[in-house]
Amino acid sequence: MTLGGSLGGTAQRNAAGAPVRRPGIGATLGRIGLAMAVAFGALAAGAGYWQVWRASELSSAPDDAAVIAASRRVVRGEITDRDGERLAWSAEDENGEPYRVYLSRSLSGVVGYASRAYGTAGLERAFDAELSGVTAADPVQDLLKKFRTDPSDPQALRTTLVASLQQAAIGALDDDSGAIVMLDPRTGEVLVLASTPVYDASGIANPATSTATFQALVADDVGRPLLPRATQGRYVPGSVFKIVTAIAALGSGAVDVSTTFEEQPAAEADGLLVSGFRVRDGHHSKTGSRAVDFIEATEVSCNLWYALAGLETGGDRLVDWAAQLGFGEPLPFDLPTAASQVTGGDGPAPGGFLDDVELASAAFGQGETFVTPLQMALVTSAVANAGVIMRPHLALSFTGKAGTTTISPEEWRRVMPARIADQITAAMVEAVNGDLGVAYTTGAQVSGLTVAGKSGTAELGGEGEPNSWFIGFAPADDPQVVIAVVVEHGGRGAARAAPIAGTLLAAWKAWAGR
Amino acid sequence: MTVTVGPRLQPRLRHRELGLLVIAVFAITIGSVSLALSQRQAAGEPLLGNGGPPLASGVALAVYLGALFVAHAVLVLTGRRTDEVLLPTVGLLGGISLLLMERLPQDLAGGLGLGTTQLVWLTLSIAVITMIAAFIRSDAWLRLYKYTWAAFGVGLLLLTFVAGREVNGQRLTLAIGPLSGQPSELLKVILVIFLAGYLSENRALLVEQSTRVGPLRLPPLPYLAPMVAMWAIALSIVVVQRDLGAALLFFVVFLLLLYVTTGRGSFVALGLVAFVAGGAVLYEVVPHVRTRVDIWLDPFATASGAGYQVVQALHAFARGGILGTGLGAGLPEVGNLPPGGIPALHTDFPLAALGEELGLIGVLAILGLYLVVIERGLRIAASAADDFRAILAAGLSLVIGVQAFIIAAGVLKLIPLTGITLPFISYGGSSLLTNGLVVGLLIALSDRGAEPPPPPTAARGLRRILDRGAP
Repeated sequence: MTLGGSLGGTAQRNAAGAPVRRPGIGATLGRIGLAMAVAFGALAAGAGYWQVWRASELSSAPDDAAVIAASRRVVRGEITDRDGERLAWSAEDENGEPYRVYLSRSLSGVVGYASRAYGTAGLERAFDAELSGVTAADPVQDLLKKFRTDPSDPQALRTTLVASLQQAAIGALDDDSGAIVMLDPRTGEVLVLASTPVYDASGIANPATSTATFQALVADDVGRPLLPRATQGRYVPGSVFKIVTAIAALGSGAVDVSTTFEEQPAAEADGLLVSGFRVRDGHHSKTGSRAVDFIEATEVSCNLWYALAGLETGGDRLVDWAAQLGFGEPLPFDLPTAASQVTGGDGPAPGGFLDDVELASAAFGQGETFVTPLQMALVTSAVANAGVIMRPHLALSFTGKAGTTTISPEEWRRVMPARIADQITAAMVEAVNGDLGVAYTTGAQVSGLTVAGKSGTAELGGEGEPNSWFIGFAPADDPQVVIAVVVEHGGRGAARAAPIAGTLLAAWKAWAGR
Repeated sequence: MTVTVGPRLQPRLRHRELGLLVIAVFAITIGSVSLALSQRQAAGEPLLGNGGPPLASGVALAVYLGALFVAHAVLVLTGRRTDEVLLPTVGLLGGISLLLMERLPQDLAGGLGLGTTQLVWLTLSIAVITMIAAFIRSDAWLRLYKYTWAAFGVGLLLLTFVAGREVNGQRLTLAIGPLSGQPSELLKVILVIFLAGYLSENRALLVEQSTRVGPLRLPPLPYLAPMVAMWAIALSIVVVQRDLGAALLFFVVFLLLLYVTTGRGSFVALGLVAFVAGGAVLYEVVPHVRTRVDIWLDPFATASGAGYQVVQALHAFARGGILGTGLGAGLPEVGNLPPGGIPALHTDFPLAALGEELGLIGVLAILGLYLVVIERGLRIAASAADDFRAILAAGLSLVIGVQAFIIAAGVLKLIPLTGITLPFISYGGSSLLTNGLVVGLLIALSDRGAEPPPPPTAARGLRRILDRGAP
C-alpha cells in the first residue's frame, strides 16, 4: 500500500543539538496500513483453517448441528453385514417420520443405536454423517453435492461383520458378561465384535418405547449393558498377556527360544522370591523340577519363566514393545476404544513400574496391567500375520447415489520379524495341542483345523471367580481368523473361554468353507 | 458546528461512486434472488413464477437501494470533491447485513421484526453518512473543544457505570427515557476526536523528548499521564462493565494512533507490556475474563456448556466450506435451540452465519471490504492538510478496522471472544449510527477543496506550562 503523504518527516534536534530524524505521519500510516493488511491476512488464514482444513472433520462430527438435524428427518442408509444381510434399516412412525429397526440384540455392542431422543452410539454414531447423508465418504463427491438440488445423500454401510457368527458369539457367552472379538489378521476386517449383556437397540430407536427402554438401561449399573466391552472394557489379562511378554522378550533379544532359568526348577515347589514377594506357579505336578524353555513355559503357562523373562527384558523394553502393539493410547479403530496399559506408569523403576515385583507380576499379566479385548485381538493378530498388524476396521464400503466407495485394508504397524512370530506361533500351537497344553486349554481344539492359542486366568484379588480368557488364531499354518474371548468371572481360562473359542472357530470354519 | 448550505452549491458528477454503487447493487440483488430461491425451495414452492419475481423481501431491498442512490444524488448535488469509494463499500456491507437479517428468525427483535428494524437503522445510517459528508465543512468544532469532548465521554462512561442496565452480565446499555443505546459505540468516536486533538497538539514534544529508563526510551513523563489514564479507563471498562471488546478496541486504537503520531515502536511496546500485565492480573481477578480465555484455549472441552457458542460458530464455518451452503440454506436457526442455534448470532456472530452461507469466498470478500475502508481512511489521512486531520482520519478508519478484526478474530478463535459488533453488518442501532458518523466524517475529511486548517497555535496547553517552568 503506498500512501502519498503530504506530511514529510520532521527533523528535530535532540539535547546535544544533533538532528534526529523521525518518520513523518505519511510513513507511519503506511506501516499501520501494512500491519492491518497482515492482521486481516491472519483472519483470512483463520477462516481458511476452519472452512477448508478442518471443514470435513467438523461438519461430519456427530455433534454438528447439520448432522443432528439431518438425523431427525433423513431416512438413514441401511447397515448390512459383509454378506449383505440387513443389520439395521428404517421404518416409519404414524407421523411418517423415520426410525431405526435392528436385526437382533446381538448387535447392540457394535452397531449401537440411532434415536431421536437419545442420540447415537456405536457404528450409528461413528458413521452418522455418512448414514444420514450429510457428507459423502469421498471429498470430491462432497464438493459436487452443493450443485445438486437434493444435497442429502444417505449412504448404505456394508460392514465387515458376519451376522451369524456374531449371534453365535452372543449365544456362547450366554448369561455371562464378557466380550468376543474375531478378525481377519490379513486385512484387519472385524468379523465379530460381541459384548454382553446385550440391549434392545430397536427399543431405544422406536419413539414409542425409547424413554422407558433407555432409562431402564441407564439405571442398570450392575450389568452396565450400554458399555461396549469389546472396545471399552478394561480387564486384567492374566496369562494371555504372556504373549506380549514373549514378543518383547524375544523381539528385544533378551531371551531366545532355548533360554532356561536355573532359579526356576528349584523354586517350583515354594515359589520364586522376587524382592521379598513370592511368585507362585501351578504346573509342578506335571513337569516336576525340570527347567522349561520358551515353548514348554508357554505350553504349561509357567509364571516363573515369564517373570524371569520379564525381569531380563526390563520394564523399559516391555513397555516400549507393548506400545508398538498399541498399548498406552486408544486404538485406530472406527469405534472409540479405551487405552490398554502394562503398568500405571507412575513408579520410579524403568518403564514406570513401582519395582521388580510389579514388573515380574506384569510379565504374566497380573500387577497393574489392564487390556481391552480388541487390544488382545491385535496382539494375537501380530503373531498370526507374521509380525504385521493391519488397521482393524468395521466399514467395508459405502454406497450412495453416486456409487460405491470401498475401504481398503491398511497396514498399521510392523511389530516384529516373521521369524519371531513363527517361534511364538509354534509355542501357541503347543499350548492348545501339546500333551501338557491340552490340560490347560481344554476345548479350544477344532477337528480339521489347527488352532494356536493361549488361555488366561485373571485373578481379580479378593473373593469371586477369576476372569476367563482365551486368545488364538487358526489355521496355525495359514492364519485367517483371530479370536479373543473374555468371560467375566468365568473361572479358569480352560473352563469357559477356551471352549467358547473352540465352538466359534468351528462355526467360522463352517462359514468360511461355504 | 459550521453548516453551509447556500449559493456555493455546484453539482459535480461522481462517476466512480456511481459505477461502484451499480456493482454493489448488482451483488445485493443477486444475493436477494439466491435467498428467495432457497426459501421457496425450502417451502416446497415452485422456484419461478407464482408470486412475482424471485426476490426476498423486495420492498425492503428497494428502500435500501433507493437510500443508497439518494445518498449518491445528494453528494453529487452538493458537489464536493470527496472520496467516492467509501459509500459503495459500506453500502455493500449494509446490503449483506440486510439480507442476513431478513433471513434470520424475525422474532429476534421485537416490534417490527429483525429485518425491518435493521432496514430502518441502515437507512438512518446512510442518512447520517450523507448529511455529514455533504454538509460538514469545518472541523473547528471538533478541533477546538477536545477537552470538552473528553469530559463528555468520561461523563457518558461514568453514567453507564452507575446507571447502565445489565444485559447478560454486561453493563453496556444506557436508557434515557424512551431512548436506549450502547454508549461505548459513541465513546469510540469521542476517543478518536480527543486523541486527534491531543496528539496533534503535542506531537512535536512527544517526538522530540524522551525519558530514559535503562534501555527504554519512554515518552516524556508529563505525557505519560494520558497513556496511563487510557490504560486505567480500559481496565475499568473491563472490570465495571465486563465489556472486554470495547476495552480492547479503545486500547489498540490508542496505541496505533500513538505510533502514527510519534513513529516510535518503543511506545507501542511499552503499551503492550502494560496491556499484557493488566490482562494477566484481570485473568486472575475477574472470573469473566478467565472464562473467556479458557473457552478460547479449548472451546471443545466445554462444547455443550461454556464453549457452546464458539464451537457452534466453528461448526458453522466448517459447514460452509469453500463455496458456502447458499444464502438461506444454512442452519443458524437461533429460535430453535438446539441444535445449531448460535446465541447472539445477529449481534456478535453474523460472520459465522455468513461463513456458513457464503463460504470462505464470502468471508474473504467481506474481509476485503473492511480492508478497503481501512485503506481509504489511511489514504485520506496521508493526504490530509495537517496533523489533526491526519490523525483523525487514521483514527476513524482504524476504529472500524480494528473493531472488525477483534470480533472476526474472536469468532474464528484467533483471540478470545469479546462481544462487540461487526461494523455495518451486526444488528443494532447504536452501532450502525455511530459507524455512519465515522464514515461520514471520513468522507468529509477527504474534501480536497476544504477550507485550510487554522494556523497552528504555538505552545499551548502542557507545552506552555512546561515552558513557564523553564528558567
